[in-house]
Amino acid sequence: MEQSPWDPEGVAVGLDPEGHLGDAARPLVDALEPRALYKRLVAARLLDHRLGRVGLPMWAPAAGEEAVSVAVALLLGDGEWIYPGLRDLAIAPMLGMDLDELARQVLGLPGERGPALYNGRPGAISATDLGVAHAPEPLGLHLALAAGQAHAHKLAGGGKASAVIFGEGLTTTGLFHESVALTAAGDLPLVLICKSQLWPEGAPPEAGLFGDSVAERMAACGLWTRRADGADVIGVYTALEQAFTHARDGRGPAFVEVVVTPLYNPDVPAHRDPVERLRRFLDHEGLWTPAFEEALEREILGQLDRAFAYARGAAPEEPR
Amino acid sequence: MVASTSKSLLRRLADEIASLLRDDPRRVIVGEDVRDGGMLGLTRAAREDEALAARLLGGPLTPAAAIAHATGLALAGRRPLVILPSASALIEGFAALRELGRISASAGGERSSAVVILAPTGPGFGLGGDGAESPEDLVAGLPGLRVLALGEAREAPALLRAAAGFDAGEQPTVVFLPRTLLLRELADEDVPSGSFPRALGAARRVREGDDATIFAWGAGVALAEAAVDQSGHACAIIDLSGLAPLDADALAAAAARTGKLVIVHPGQRNAIAAEVAALLADRAILHLDAPILRVGGADGPLPYSAEANALPTVEAIAAAIAEVATY
Repeated sequence: MEQSPWDPEGVAVGLDPEGHLGDAARPLVDALEPRALYKRLVAARLLDHRLGRVGLPMWAPAAGEEAVSVAVALLLGDGEWIYPGLRDLAIAPMLGMDLDELARQVLGLPGERGPALYNGRPGAISATDLGVAHAPEPLGLHLALAAGQAHAHKLAGGGKASAVIFGEGLTTTGLFHESVALTAAGDLPLVLICKSQLWPEGAPPEAGLFGDSVAERMAACGLWTRRADGADVIGVYTALEQAFTHARDGRGPAFVEVVVTPLYNPDVPAHRDPVERLRRFLDHEGLWTPAFEEALEREILGQLDRAFAYARGAAPEEPR
Repeated sequence: MVASTSKSLLRRLADEIASLLRDDPRRVIVGEDVRDGGMLGLTRAAREDEALAARLLGGPLTPAAAIAHATGLALAGRRPLVILPSASALIEGFAALRELGRISASAGGERSSAVVILAPTGPGFGLGGDGAESPEDLVAGLPGLRVLALGEAREAPALLRAAAGFDAGEQPTVVFLPRTLLLRELADEDVPSGSFPRALGAARRVREGDDATIFAWGAGVALAEAAVDQSGHACAIIDLSGLAPLDADALAAAAARTGKLVIVHPGQRNAIAAEVAALLADRAILHLDAPILRVGGADGPLPYSAEANALPTVEAIAAAIAEVATY
């Protein structure tokens, strides 16, 4: 297959665009149980679709970015925290938040579990018992909060690391550079996860693009960096696992740039979709059928619809 | 007989900070050059103790990162004390300060935001510009923060200890330290030992008097005392001490006692002074026997040679006292 302009360079490939797995990645994929992994990706995608119908102000779809949520949820350990952006809501249910509570928080409603919560931006969620931080409104502030959290890990000396997720547009802000300087100067155990785009049709000024790769910029700052392809959940998992290991081992912050492709652009080829790419793998392995897909989607959509209906206090909708 | 020792207030605060670190292993110090003693020397005593050095956390020279860094440490259960070089850094780091105040409202209030920020404020070091400004009112307007102003140099160590102990509840706290007070020399016998003599944030009755009541805070308290002496009137002086929340009941009661009120504040316009005037007009209107007068200083930016103009003059305060007392 020809390289498309949305395919990043300089990444270690786990699943190639056709869904073929490199030999080195086979033990990892077996350990992760590919069908379970696929269910998580589909659940994250369907959650995004469901959120699109909620009517949240300033909401932006996250379709195409699910591999980050799935990998972070698998890698985050006890006592470690994720400071997510607004497009990483799927992490919380994967860590154990039930969907009723997720829906209640997304909708900003009071419920049996307590009053309506302020979680920062509309639609954001938080869970102190799961290590999911709220989403501060000032751009980039969650990076510095996460740096403080990581500093506490370092002072405690227990080999824990926390992580923060943000988009490349944030990498021009003062707080981004301040936070990078802080984590580097203090050798703080923080995993910085930057979701970037390649903008083959030209980057807007808001993207804050200096050259093609945020990872290269951060390498120039002296940080440990990796670049991963957001359409390749195995590649993303591998890079983030290395990053968590680096940070937990006390070797300082780790920076992972994950190149994602927004899927709402009709010119984007199907292999840029992390769900489709893993589906192709399952198909090759004889693990995917249309019936499996249909049952999976029906189950997840039913759970989501029930949760949002319940949070709104309405009668549960009929499962589709 | 043991000879009395005189130390600068900065030195006494430095001793108190070292002592706070020893008392609670959760405490850490965040700020510019704190590993080398800090810009004001406030971590010199801590630096001399090897056991404390690991909890002096340096960082980039950026107030927003420093405040958010401390907030993150507090979220994780630490008790950070942020030492800012100037209160103007609160404005530079305003977004982070605002977020600190919001933590208790976010995530169901389950996370800690037990941060104390020390901020030298107003003229006194001969800096002018930012170093002459007193941004207390901008900070006191932010929800979620406890805002305190030191009005009496001798109380500083106990005030710091009470604030860092969160005696009035675990709420992020900004302590404004007037530069005019920080350079005072204090003899041992002038510094009361023991705990802070009143509730954190409670107003302090500096003087009693029936002719008028003067409300002031921070550097304004000493100016009010000098102005009352100069005026020849017997005036009560109230040190607000707590700027957010205001000790509203105590202020209203003090206003009702004389019905003649003067509010002393830095700069030309001041939201705290306006808030106090509105509060007293509301709560003490039936006791008022004269208009509520506010006496301020000059607006900045001021050249360093003229920085003292940021505060009102003793003469202007004395004139206001005479005006209400004889109204």
